[in-house]
Amino acid sequence: MAVALALLAPLPAVGAPPQERHIAISARRFGFEPGTVRVNRGDTVVISLESVDVVHGLYLDGYRVSTKAEPGQPGEVRFVADRDGAFHFRCAVPCGNLHPFMIGKLVVGPNLTWLRAVAASLLATAGALVVFWRA
Amino acid sequence: MRWAISDVPWVNRLLRGRWLQWGITVFTLAVFVVVILTGLFGTPAGNHNFGIVYVWLVWWALLKLVLVPFLGRSWCSVCPIPAPGDWLQRRTMITARPGGKLYTIATKLFRKVGSVGARPWPRLLRNIWPQNLSFLAVALFSALILTSPLATALILLGFILVSLLVSLFFERRAFCRYLCPIGGFVGVYSQIAPVAVRVKDPAVCASHTDKTCYIGSDAGYGCPYSNLLQKLETNTYCSMCGECLRTCNRDNIAFYVRGPGADLLNTRGRRLDEAFNGLMMLGAAFIYSVVLIGPDSWLKVTARAVGTPAWFVYAAALLAFDMLAVPGLFWLCVRLGQALAGKPKAVAGQVAARIRKGDSLFADYATALVPLGLAIWIAFTLSFTMTNLSYAWPALSDPFGWGWNLFGTADMAWTPYLSGMIPYLQVPVLLVGLILAVALALRTAHQHQQPSTAALPVSAFCALAVVGLLTLYMA
Amino acid sequence: MKRSELFALLIVLIVLLGLPAGLFGYQVWRLQPAATGVRIVEIVARVPEQGGFSPDRLRLQAGETVRLRISSPDVVHGLTIPGLGVNVDEIYPGKVVEVDVTPDKSGRYAFACTRWCGVDHWRMRGVIEVTGTAGAPLPAEPPPLFQQLGIDLDAVPHAAHITPARQPSASKGAGLNVALPAEVSDPARRLILSPVDAFQRLRDDPVNAGLSDDDVWNLVAWAWLKDAQPEALARAETLYARDCAACHGPDGKGGGPAGKDLPGMQKMDPAMPKGPANFTDAGTLLAASDVLLQGKILRGGMGTGMPEFGSLYTDEEMWALVAYLRSFLFKR
Repeated sequence: MAVALALLAPLPAVGAPPQERHIAISARRFGFEPGTVRVNRGDTVVISLESVDVVHGLYLDGYRVSTKAEPGQPGEVRFVADRDGAFHFRCAVPCGNLHPFMIGKLVVGPNLTWLRAVAASLLATAGALVVFWRA
Repeated sequence: MRWAISDVPWVNRLLRGRWLQWGITVFTLAVFVVVILTGLFGTPAGNHNFGIVYVWLVWWALLKLVLVPFLGRSWCSVCPIPAPGDWLQRRTMITARPGGKLYTIATKLFRKVGSVGARPWPRLLRNIWPQNLSFLAVALFSALILTSPLATALILLGFILVSLLVSLFFERRAFCRYLCPIGGFVGVYSQIAPVAVRVKDPAVCASHTDKTCYIGSDAGYGCPYSNLLQKLETNTYCSMCGECLRTCNRDNIAFYVRGPGADLLNTRGRRLDEAFNGLMMLGAAFIYSVVLIGPDSWLKVTARAVGTPAWFVYAAALLAFDMLAVPGLFWLCVRLGQALAGKPKAVAGQVAARIRKGDSLFADYATALVPLGLAIWIAFTLSFTMTNLSYAWPALSDPFGWGWNLFGTADMAWTPYLSGMIPYLQVPVLLVGLILAVALALRTAHQHQQPSTAALPVSAFCALAVVGLLTLYMA
Repeated sequence: MKRSELFALLIVLIVLLGLPAGLFGYQVWRLQPAATGVRIVEIVARVPEQGGFSPDRLRLQAGETVRLRISSPDVVHGLTIPGLGVNVDEIYPGKVVEVDVTPDKSGRYAFACTRWCGVDHWRMRGVIEVTGTAGAPLPAEPPPLFQQLGIDLDAVPHAAHITPARQPSASKGAGLNVALPAEVSDPARRLILSPVDAFQRLRDDPVNAGLSDDDVWNLVAWAWLKDAQPEALARAETLYARDCAACHGPDGKGGGPAGKDLPGMQKMDPAMPKGPANFTDAGTLLAASDVLLQGKILRGGMGTGMPEFGSLYTDEEMWALVAYLRSFLFKR
């Protein structure tokens, strides 16, 4: 019960006012720099992807936008971060053996999804303890 | 709460017959042949190599998301790796040999005519410690294996050769039971599955001296995993192959559909090797999540650069974390629980004696890690298989990456599946695993006559594991 | 042995022996010249550190059709054989690209990788030697213009003694309606003139005494850009993005990722700039004539890391590129 509440209860959308953010991500084999990007919910995010060595790409989970880049030919994605939570972005163009694990993370604050999940876990633990407790 | 599905006549016919199981095994063997060939001779680009895609994406997803949680260790009954060895031991594939005799070279060499097998597996190794170590060994090289078709092919070839060699000298499926790294954790996690092969009425077994389920008969072979059905209480070493169903001449064995996790309800008398397996798998899931799914590229590249000095440091850290830190932390939680319960500290000699007797509090508390570990592995598997499963289509049409297009799907583009939905699948699974783990921790305390407070540190350990994983993936 | 066992054994043998035979047999059958009608040549494109193109030298017969099967085991590559009109934009790892070529003239044809595949991408080249007497051989190339004129490409560049205060605009220059002297307005004669020398020539002309310095620069910009065809500039833009931007930057400032740590930099004359040329630097660019720029593109940088493109670009393409480079300083 409590777990369901934690997961589903609508929480007030707190957070900074939305702004336009320009983020430069540089891709090299086999990682993105910066590996974690944090924005606020409602921000208009412009990611410019620059590659340092070979042809790379960037696909953003959840928002499903993608682009590709190679040295000298940067790519760009532009979207509004209207979904809260953490979204992995992955290299979208095969760039070598560790390509499937070339992953970064976009965190859209205030990241209520994670907060809810953690709260739900703690509640679930407490709940299980209460239900199965014997003096 | 269980229902014998083998009482249904057509199900019974299917399970007793040998064609279905053999047919599926031949299919997996064919896939295995293609995996080896494409791994050895196909393109080194993993995404378009049948070997990498069908082993580490398709089969792995199938195993972790469907087979183990719902069908227990049944993959093992159709696995291609022991199949040639089985067939050589039995000298048959579709029929049963009189008396269920097995042949090995050792039978000839050591003249154990009339016995079921030949060399019994060494007593000292009759546990899953070798499987724990072999899993760790594979884990050390996993960044290389998962991304190199050649490495995948070589390691699978190695498995089948070792399995074949072992079958030539040792009785039954010793490789599967004692050596295979997959078998180790699949066995431990299959205790969750809502299926089980058990005796119908133990009293019937008590008066049955032939023990055909173990020894074999004209109708079939003795249990390949050396189980005595009368004593079988958990799914851990049962691949549901059905030999016992065929050989039992008292019709006292059934395939049951039952409530999930029933095997875990008795938390006493648990084995230390299985407990360690649960701990090690938990640690491994975290290591993989940090190294492979995390954003740090230097870590990934180091993990793959086998043989370099940096890799040795990485390997040492991995082993220290998985073999010392995680079990050590768990042990501290168990000890803290004992302190909270007010029990006097045990003397070292007493503890060792209790472990030998099979009464280890540490191992018993580790029961909680079975649902927790499986949930965490399901969450981890979801995070990388759904994204890359679409490679299965081109890899089917062009398995070697040689420009074929057998089924017209060679040009299908990569499309991540369930892209934004993955966290919404992971969280419920993790929560269910956590609730079951805490419930089991409390049950362990009660079954050891401890007050409920004794289970608090272990419960905190489980909660920490889940919150930690959630933070790794979602924060 | 019972019949069912025999049947089962047969199936297993088909799997263990027939399946491999079938798979490899299929591939052999696919690649036979008899089946396809043409000779097949396999080229594997690897990152340069692992060998680049294998093979990187091909021998073909004039008039013979050859099917090139190009594959990559690692990253995305590309292939261009300008002399034979071959342009494969993408060789995707794990996939095979097939392209048929029928060279008709004998000679040497350079080929190169067109997608950045590592630090040494610009070295990933090869050559196709076509022999045979079908058709006349390629005419001998005349020596490049800078050689004919005796221009030293490696001389330390002198800076322009005067640079524009504002970005010169060709359209403004056109609007001034000034008749340009022949040596500035005739494309063939303008080649050997540097923009700053043209500026001085126009500045010193009493006809232009009433114009401001900015306006004279506008005239220079118009002179340099008036003869550039739009299609030629578009082609140059594509080539620049594909081949030059990685070192010189999409903005022309010389800060591209592939231009860092170039091997030849340390050995260069300390007076030379340490890095790829900055095309927005008026001081150096305006002091360089078009023939000097074209010569650098054609010949490369003699150990500085600037590749030679004479074997890959046509003359028209190189002059178009020079005009494109001017547009970093001169507005259209």
